[in-house]
Amino acid sequence: MTIRILGADVANQIAAGEVVERPASVVKELVENALDARANTISVTSEGAGRRLIEVADNGDGIPADELHLAFQRHATSKISHIDDLNQLYTLGFRGEALASIASVSRTTVISRALGEDISGRMLIEGGHILVNEPTGAPQGTMITVENLFYNTPARLKFLKKDATERQHISALVSRYAMAYPQVRFSLSQEGREVLRTSGNGHLEEVLLEVFGLETVQQMLPIQSQADERRPDRFPVVVNGHIGQPSLNRANRSQITVFVNGRWVQDSSLTYAVVQAYHTMLMTGRYPVAVVLIDVPPHEIDINVHPTKAQVRFRRPEVVFSAVQRAVRRTLVDHTPVPQLSLGSSWGSPDWAARRDRLTQVTTQRMTQLGFDADGTMIDPPDDDDEPATGPPRPRRNLPLLRVVGQIGATYIVCEGPSGLYLIDQHAAHERILYEQFSAERANEQIMIQELLEPVVIDLIPEHMDLINANVHLLEQVGFRVETFGRNSVQLRAVPVMVAQGDPAEALMAAIGDIECGDMPMEATAEQKMIARICKQVAVKAGQVLSPQEMQGLIRQLEACEAPRSCPHGRPTLLHLSAEQLAKEFGRLGAI
Amino acid sequence: MGMRVSTPQDNLSKGLSIVSRAVGSRSNLPVLSNVLIATDNGRLRLAATNLNDLGIVSWVAASVEEDGAITVPARTLNDLVNTLSPERVDLEVAVRTNTLNLNCGAMTAQIKGIDAQEFPIMPEPTDEDQYLPVPAQLLRETIKMVAFAAARQDSRPVLTGVLMEYDGQSLTMAAADGFRLAVREMPLAAESSENFSLVVPAKTLSELERIGANEDEDVYIVLPKDRSQQVLFHMNNVDVSTQLLGEEFPNFRQIVPQETTTRVILDTASLLQACKRADIFAREANHTIQVHIQPQEGMAGVVRVSATSAETGENEGFLDATIEGDDLSISFNVRYVIDVLNVIQSESVEILTSRPDKPGIIRPLGDSTYTYVIMPMYTGR
Repeated sequence: MTIRILGADVANQIAAGEVVERPASVVKELVENALDARANTISVTSEGAGRRLIEVADNGDGIPADELHLAFQRHATSKISHIDDLNQLYTLGFRGEALASIASVSRTTVISRALGEDISGRMLIEGGHILVNEPTGAPQGTMITVENLFYNTPARLKFLKKDATERQHISALVSRYAMAYPQVRFSLSQEGREVLRTSGNGHLEEVLLEVFGLETVQQMLPIQSQADERRPDRFPVVVNGHIGQPSLNRANRSQITVFVNGRWVQDSSLTYAVVQAYHTMLMTGRYPVAVVLIDVPPHEIDINVHPTKAQVRFRRPEVVFSAVQRAVRRTLVDHTPVPQLSLGSSWGSPDWAARRDRLTQVTTQRMTQLGFDADGTMIDPPDDDDEPATGPPRPRRNLPLLRVVGQIGATYIVCEGPSGLYLIDQHAAHERILYEQFSAERANEQIMIQELLEPVVIDLIPEHMDLINANVHLLEQVGFRVETFGRNSVQLRAVPVMVAQGDPAEALMAAIGDIECGDMPMEATAEQKMIARICKQVAVKAGQVLSPQEMQGLIRQLEACEAPRSCPHGRPTLLHLSAEQLAKEFGRLGAI
Repeated sequence: MGMRVSTPQDNLSKGLSIVSRAVGSRSNLPVLSNVLIATDNGRLRLAATNLNDLGIVSWVAASVEEDGAITVPARTLNDLVNTLSPERVDLEVAVRTNTLNLNCGAMTAQIKGIDAQEFPIMPEPTDEDQYLPVPAQLLRETIKMVAFAAARQDSRPVLTGVLMEYDGQSLTMAAADGFRLAVREMPLAAESSENFSLVVPAKTLSELERIGANEDEDVYIVLPKDRSQQVLFHMNNVDVSTQLLGEEFPNFRQIVPQETTTRVILDTASLLQACKRADIFAREANHTIQVHIQPQEGMAGVVRVSATSAETGENEGFLDATIEGDDLSISFNVRYVIDVLNVIQSESVEILTSRPDKPGIIRPLGDSTYTYVIMPMYTGR
């Protein structure tokens, strides 16, 4: 076989394989182009799940008619001109590959009028060959129509998933960009049906409302501004977005959406940072819902990792990672409300009722706007006057002041608070208290160790023996001094003071028991797991009768906790039945 | 007809207050909530038991007209008798209805009871039993100095008990809770018993101390021949019995350090004060106090007792001390220190220790019969 240089059309088709994987990839490239062209209205249409037709129309800068043919050449771009520009990239695209790739595997029509030009151009390309290039009349902006995608690459066509799946990919993609660019009006229609329409008024919460629905958005919290966390020694990482309360959780990570500089990335370490922030608040195997927008200076990231740019590299990943984790954690700690007790029908507490009203009001407002511009005229996004953040008063950071009423089932503490009734799970609450105390001691390297009067000899099965031998150092760090004593037994010489009141042998077994089977939520460190497990073992058990003083003491300590509302394993420590709920349930309210 | 007895109100009241401590509070056997009232050789015999760690029998002087017995709810009888005026109380049992009729002055009462046959048989000393007489005052003092060190929780049941070990010359009592140990040896003149080693529930001994026999009396430790799992403390008018704790007590002699390098002599009261002050801060910090032993060349040394709480603050107390050996800083659970200083009667105490991770010993100065060992605390890395 002789070696020869591939023809441009073959090369483009191969390149297309990387960039254009499925219909959604086409949508992605075209939407990114539209955004780079500073459009504030982008409408996406797909038919036949994107195979028959994808059309993306924007009102952006447009392409001058005489440059149209250039746009479809490989490595042709207006976004960068020099390699150094990659370090200062403010645009989403830069590779200059997308249009050429798309055009090589479909029949593509472009109609565009550039800003300030009188003439608009129309060009038709099929399989990479320009068939028509003529002047035409069109509004400012660009409309690209991609038909018969993959008609000349049957293998690719064959590997496409079911229509429903491909459609879902497209709608997921468009809604993601709508979240990242709330100031841009997005609309998506699939098979002639409008699937998504955002107002472009700049309010992320409204986009979320559109995408997730009222029920979900009510359970989301805005991430607070990170201005005060900018440090001189670090580059500024601004974290925004909305995150779900721990009560809003899913079985997988797919609802964690992360944007870096307006770019949707599927970066597992950032997802991990978000999940980590929920540490001890979510149950095992559950993941939060979150939309996190991260802004970093462009020179701090490298996007040129993969043609689809779904991954980014950070120059200092740890800084970004910890900024994300801190921001999410702070929001959660500050705002996670007590889970509401639902009595059959779910009555919102006053706070939530207010928020619900506000959200419904926003929807109605938007509907009237939609009616107004139904005639197709482009109107500017509405002003940002009605600041959505002036909503309900923020939930208090700590627990409300609670008065102990009594104990039920020797398991739950009944309390009265300023806004109704609270039920506290004594075991979960005590676990949380001990966990925070222990972790604080550990963080200060101040774990107090109590020497035992006489070493306790513990006989073990070989697996446990191995576990202990492998973790002697870790055990020592949390305060257990263990020495091998014979073939299958150990001598326990000292224990952490915290467990001193119980049986030292049991505490040790509890500590190693966890190394064996990770029963902690998410990716906790072995040490955290061990601490949580020890605390679980030491904590007041369900079924233990407590005196009023003990209950009061427990609640006071819980108030001092950083995250008092869940135990280290993520179960809630308390439930709230609001005065309002009580009144409604007894027919004192709402029956008028 | 059943029993007919008369007794002064104060006698009856005292007897009831002694036995009612043994009444089972959460028993599913109703008769255990009752107190037994029976005639016994011209006296009135009162008894209560929880069938476990405490059974008490008390004899009250009375004039018996007719023998008999009944059990009635302890609380009802006790509360009633306590309110009566100091007069003669007449007790009469209506056998057919199991009722106790009680008359005192202008008051009459009928208390419904349970047949005395249902009441458990209480152990009594017999001639065949082994016994060891111990001066009541000495025993009481020793219980006070030792029993507090026993464990409250029963993760290791044997540690909720007090070891009583007799070797022919002295009776040694020891209690430990896993972090501290109290031991006292009582030399006894009488050599009347075989050697024995028992673990008695600390709670029983505390009751024994509370009942308090007359000062010049002896308390007989009785080992019933036919019931090896019981022990009986026999006094003039009171018997206290209990089940023994079966397990083996830790070898406490091995725990007491034989050699120490630093010896400190302190004023007991001043040290107790300093510890109590430190505990105000230490209670927020696992009750940890630091004891800094600082010998000074050619003069009395200084002991600094300090506590630090991240939340509350910190305090320091300085005590004059006689110090032999090296300077040293060691941490203890202040509660354990306060406990022992509360029971030491002597004016001065000595603290013996050698290293921050080795046990400390506290003793009354000049009294080698008593030893208290505390395990230290320290921070991990």
